[in-house]
Amino acid sequence: MKRYSYFIISLLVIILFSACEEDEGGTAPTVSGALSIEFDNYVGTQPMQLDPEGSTDYRYTTGAGQEFNLSTFRYYISNIKLEGPDGASFEDEMNASANADEVQGYYLVQEGDPDSYFIDLDEVPVGQYNKMTFTLGIAEEGVQEGAAGGILDPAEGAWFWTWNSGYISLGMEGTAADSPQERVERDGLVTEANTFQLHVGGWKELEGNDNMVNNIRTITLDFGDVVTVGQDVKPKVHLVFDMLKILDGAAIDFSQTFQVHAPRAAVPMADEIPGAFTVDHVHQ
Amino acid sequence: MDITYRFEKPANFPEPTYTFENNPVTPEGFRLGRRLFFDPLLSRDGSVSCSNCHQQGLAFADGPQHPFSVGVDNQLGIRNAPPLANLAFKREFFWDGGVTHLDFVPTNAIENELEMDESLANVVDKLNQHPEYPALFKQAFGVDTITSPYMLHAFSQFMVMMISANSKYDKYVRNEGETLTDEELKGMRLFEEKCGACHSGELFSDFSFRNNGISTTFSDEGRARITEHPSDIGKFRVPSLRNIARTAPYMHNARLKTLEEVLAHYASGVQESSTLDPLLNDGAQLGILMTDEEQAQIITFLETLTDYEFIADERFQNTQ
Repeated sequence: MKRYSYFIISLLVIILFSACEEDEGGTAPTVSGALSIEFDNYVGTQPMQLDPEGSTDYRYTTGAGQEFNLSTFRYYISNIKLEGPDGASFEDEMNASANADEVQGYYLVQEGDPDSYFIDLDEVPVGQYNKMTFTLGIAEEGVQEGAAGGILDPAEGAWFWTWNSGYISLGMEGTAADSPQERVERDGLVTEANTFQLHVGGWKELEGNDNMVNNIRTITLDFGDVVTVGQDVKPKVHLVFDMLKILDGAAIDFSQTFQVHAPRAAVPMADEIPGAFTVDHVHQ
Repeated sequence: MDITYRFEKPANFPEPTYTFENNPVTPEGFRLGRRLFFDPLLSRDGSVSCSNCHQQGLAFADGPQHPFSVGVDNQLGIRNAPPLANLAFKREFFWDGGVTHLDFVPTNAIENELEMDESLANVVDKLNQHPEYPALFKQAFGVDTITSPYMLHAFSQFMVMMISANSKYDKYVRNEGETLTDEELKGMRLFEEKCGACHSGELFSDFSFRNNGISTTFSDEGRARITEHPSDIGKFRVPSLRNIARTAPYMHNARLKTLEEVLAHYASGVQESSTLDPLLNDGAQLGILMTDEEQAQIITFLETLTDYEFIADERFQNTQ
């Protein structure tokens, strides 16, 4: 297998180099293909499934033995970059525009909306790739462009903190047997008993503000294999995001931690985000 | 070409921070922002508009009779509404600096339970169902459906044009034929010496966050509400002093009613706490050493920062 790959790579290198020689003197147009990334959310070994808000049907158990379920699970992905062993590279174009149709490079993965699990990258230069980097959350450049549309529009479902302006990177909500949350009703809005709302946000790292908490995390993943993007071949990278690694890694005890709505309390969870992603497999 | 609604940086001002490349000012966008500014439709029950707490005659501050903002159902807010001017030049907004871009400022007032108590989504729905707004958004932005970023862009187009740079002081420093009296000049020199470390530059603020000794305990933690750090408890943004003579009462908690009280506070009223600004505590004495006469001279200078053209500018008036 290895020897076969080596042969293919050599062949490709020869072809690429020959192509370069032919294009000498002119600007070679970049030939583009596509690559698809699937985000597959898990809770430990169980594929993630949502329950209605307030449900006491507990599907999952933390490492510490606390039962819980999930009613909402969502996160933003941005700044996707691909790299290859031979120097191929791709950076997703970013645009936080007021015009929803022009928003680019920002993605909302929302459990329960299967369309949101797939990010299709077009315009990836043809070549070989074995590594990807992305950001979980919306970093400074996305916030500081000002009001944006589409998945970044708070009136259309973006999760945005108004008093400490910025997007919630990762939202986890559900019910936990140990959560002491009482049922609250205000103007028709109900927070059910025993629920939890864990919101990871905070992006600021501004000059002269050393005390700010930045919970934006960058994730770098090796494919463990090499995929080829060609004009007619669209490889798929299948990622698994295990949310239990966040709860267990941050030692979340629902009897103590059931409402998180500010950056500092979310730091332990943010720190577990990079380790919660793995490349399950790649399809050529 | 009509330059009535063109953003122009005053010669003595720093570079603006606003992202004009994403939202250039147009006459249609500015007028739309103005209409929204005066429209109580933004609030849950249609009772509160931005102009309730930001009145032009007071340099867009709230009236002295409202030390704290009054929101829907006559609820009292927690802080004194700040004046609005020169917003295109600021990095952070509100007393705690929690908002880092002008576009997001109105959202804070709209969604705050003690202010307008309305959701951004509901405001957008109300605008889309309104007999006139959809056409105005179409004219300003070419959109068939109103979405929140365009509404916020309209607000920003109105707010970035709120430039206050034509006070007596400005005309003096720009050599436009204005002179300051001897008392005003003495006051200016004293101001630079006694106050200039924090109220620096042409906007009269370094935009840092400091505890100025207004209290020893802080139920409103100020900057620490954003940083969640104990060393920021009791710190609030150093405010710009432009139009300061029009914007009483003073400080985040509106505790000081007049400029005389403000100067007296710095001279002899500073209270100690663990986060008190070092500039107000030299180890031997709290506050800033100033005689009564010096305080009066500084106030005389501060009065030259009132921009009468700004507070009477017809472009900012509700012309519907």
